[in-house]
Amino acid sequence: MNQKKECVAMLLAGGQGTRLGVLTEHVAKPAVPFGGKYRIIDFTLSNTINSHIDTIGVLTQYQPFELNTYIGNGQPWDLDRLNGGVFVLPPFMRAGSGEWYKGTANAIYQNIAFIDRYNPEYVLVLSGDHIYKMDYSLMLSGHIKNKADCTIAVFEVPIEQASRFGIMNTDKDNRVTEFAEKPKEPKSNKASMGIYIFNWKKLRAYLVDDENDKNSQNDFGKNIIPNMLGNGERLFAYSFKGYWKDVGTISSLWEANMDLLDKNSGLNLNDSAWKIYARNSAEPPHYVGENGTLKNSLVSEGCEIDGTLKNSVLSHSSVVGRGAVIENSIVMPGAVIDENAVVKYAIVGAGAHIKKNAAAGEDLNGPNGKGEWEIALIGPDKTVEAGAVVKKGEMV
Amino acid sequence: MNIMSVLFASDNENKLNELTIHRTTASLPFCGRYRLIDFILSNLVNSGITTIGIIARNNYNSLMDHIRMGRDWDLNRKNSGIAVFPPFVTNSSRDLYKSKIEALYSVADYIKWAKEDYILITNGNIAYNFDFEKLSDYHTEKNADITMLTYKTTAAARRILPKIDKNGRVSEIVLSGVSASSVVDVAMNVYLMKKSLLLDLVQAAFNKGQSDFEKDILLAKTHELKIFAYEAKGFVAVIDDIKSYYYESMKLLDKKTRDGLFDGGGNIYTKVKDSAPTVYGDKASVKNSLIADGCKINGSVENSILFRGVNIEEGARVANSIIMENGQILNNSNMSYVITDKNVVVKENRTISGFETYPIVIVKDKIV
Repeated sequence: MNQKKECVAMLLAGGQGTRLGVLTEHVAKPAVPFGGKYRIIDFTLSNTINSHIDTIGVLTQYQPFELNTYIGNGQPWDLDRLNGGVFVLPPFMRAGSGEWYKGTANAIYQNIAFIDRYNPEYVLVLSGDHIYKMDYSLMLSGHIKNKADCTIAVFEVPIEQASRFGIMNTDKDNRVTEFAEKPKEPKSNKASMGIYIFNWKKLRAYLVDDENDKNSQNDFGKNIIPNMLGNGERLFAYSFKGYWKDVGTISSLWEANMDLLDKNSGLNLNDSAWKIYARNSAEPPHYVGENGTLKNSLVSEGCEIDGTLKNSVLSHSSVVGRGAVIENSIVMPGAVIDENAVVKYAIVGAGAHIKKNAAAGEDLNGPNGKGEWEIALIGPDKTVEAGAVVKKGEMV
Repeated sequence: MNIMSVLFASDNENKLNELTIHRTTASLPFCGRYRLIDFILSNLVNSGITTIGIIARNNYNSLMDHIRMGRDWDLNRKNSGIAVFPPFVTNSSRDLYKSKIEALYSVADYIKWAKEDYILITNGNIAYNFDFEKLSDYHTEKNADITMLTYKTTAAARRILPKIDKNGRVSEIVLSGVSASSVVDVAMNVYLMKKSLLLDLVQAAFNKGQSDFEKDILLAKTHELKIFAYEAKGFVAVIDDIKSYYYESMKLLDKKTRDGLFDGGGNIYTKVKDSAPTVYGDKASVKNSLIADGCKINGSVENSILFRGVNIEEGARVANSIIMENGQILNNSNMSYVITDKNVVVKENRTISGFETYPIVIVKDKIV
């Protein structure tokens, strides 16, 4: 018999992440490298344990191998527990049936038995592709105080961008009165972050009903939340203040990495009170050679740098040869940039090799520089041959 | 592997002065993010030796804090794993143990009960990357009683020098060598033998009141026992005083030497601290240096090694120096040939200068 838990977290990590192109060709989006030594999922896993929630189901589906290996027994996040801990939950076959996760709600529905083992009062539903530091225990206190059935974390976006999000309209007590998915004329700027706390008994009933509804898309935003609202359940919005970014696209992934270099972005990794944990690579300190020049950049362990690095993030175990120039770019783990290669406004995938004198991305200050640029993307383990050019916005 | 290990964590503490006031030699910080003991622990684990008894004599707090349950080396096992033997009082002498023989005698039960048939005696003051399976194969091939690990160096002063014949057998042992003009074979105080042989030798020596493992056992029985020597190739750094600490650390700025230590086979593991990557500011200038994670650099760093969490402020200049964990070098300070221990703060506009052969050591937690 498992000990009862107050709150169990369910982390949705099954999305294909097609908008990240070649970066998610072989790995699930949450396993994409971020910030020099992390994977995207490290932020959510670290938030969870830092919020004193120690039982987490990670729902995987698409390209789960690398993600599963990365999570392992959860030890880097202190989630190797006798009672609770982290569990990878892929879809599985049952007697007579079995299917993929049809939607976010269906993914939780298929794991009702897992949640029931811990008999929790509350279930926290999370996404595995956001960069942020959030104390879920504060959200949970609000949920309990409001006697809510569901609390939805919201992020206040500029009103002119609000039509791109799922928008919560609330009354003066923050109770949700209306939910509008990508409204043309938004009435509020409270965008859903895709983070929910539910009373488990209530959610369980809604999941079962939703599964029986043949017309449902089995999605929290499209089905469960509107159904609960329609039935007059108590739904509240919880306003999150702080840094938050959905890194589902190439440009937002690039921006979030660049935000690490900006002291005023609100994204601080050097916070001993809220550490972001990651599975560690056993690498020695990084080495800067006689010709190394580093300005406004982030560098992790195991790198060898003999070139120039400006406004860039260099992930662990990568090599920058003499005379190579890297600007405004993200270099993922184990990539090799040979002598005199130039990388600007680009993302270089893990293990990629850019050979001598090759060029990737566009130089804003170059002869054609009009301030227009698009990220060039070199996929994991790809090679750019000596002298070759990868133009701006190109994906290799 | 059918080998267990007993690891001495407290060699030569007196010669490292300021750096070992608060710690054993084995927990001396090395190469930006490691403690010296990480190298031998990683070597043992990478060689499949997982029953490891660590003998600590004094100042063992930092060692215990570093090793914890051995998880970072995959040594938190149900079977085998790490056992730390803190200082203890031997029954017979009613005093802290003084010698290797006494220490081995006092852990005889631990050695006996281990399931392995062979024992490897090691220590925590050498940085190297070595596969002990090679030593074991050689031991078997030579049908040796004892096989000792040696390396080639000119730093022979006060060390144990075996004379090795053309078959690899040790024909003579000189206990206290003098500086050599050319490279010679020097013992690393690492020995492989059958457990039963060690226990017999230690029991016999203890009964006679002998205390010196090298003198009373190895030297006394050089001809009686078949002692062979096996050379550890690649980078071997024996740290037994401030000079060797500084000299061997700085050697690692050379890529070939560094690769010899880190790419020599197995990974070197250490306690994971979850530091963020290092941040370089707009005023940073770094040449020929090793920089660990978690640093903030906005000054000038040259020919130096920075440990985790070091902060070099704008205008500060650090050259030929080793700055250990959480060192803070504030605005416009100048440092050359300095070793600062953990948590040292050098305030604004200070100038501290040592010399290559005599680096200045600033003790842990001091504010200059």
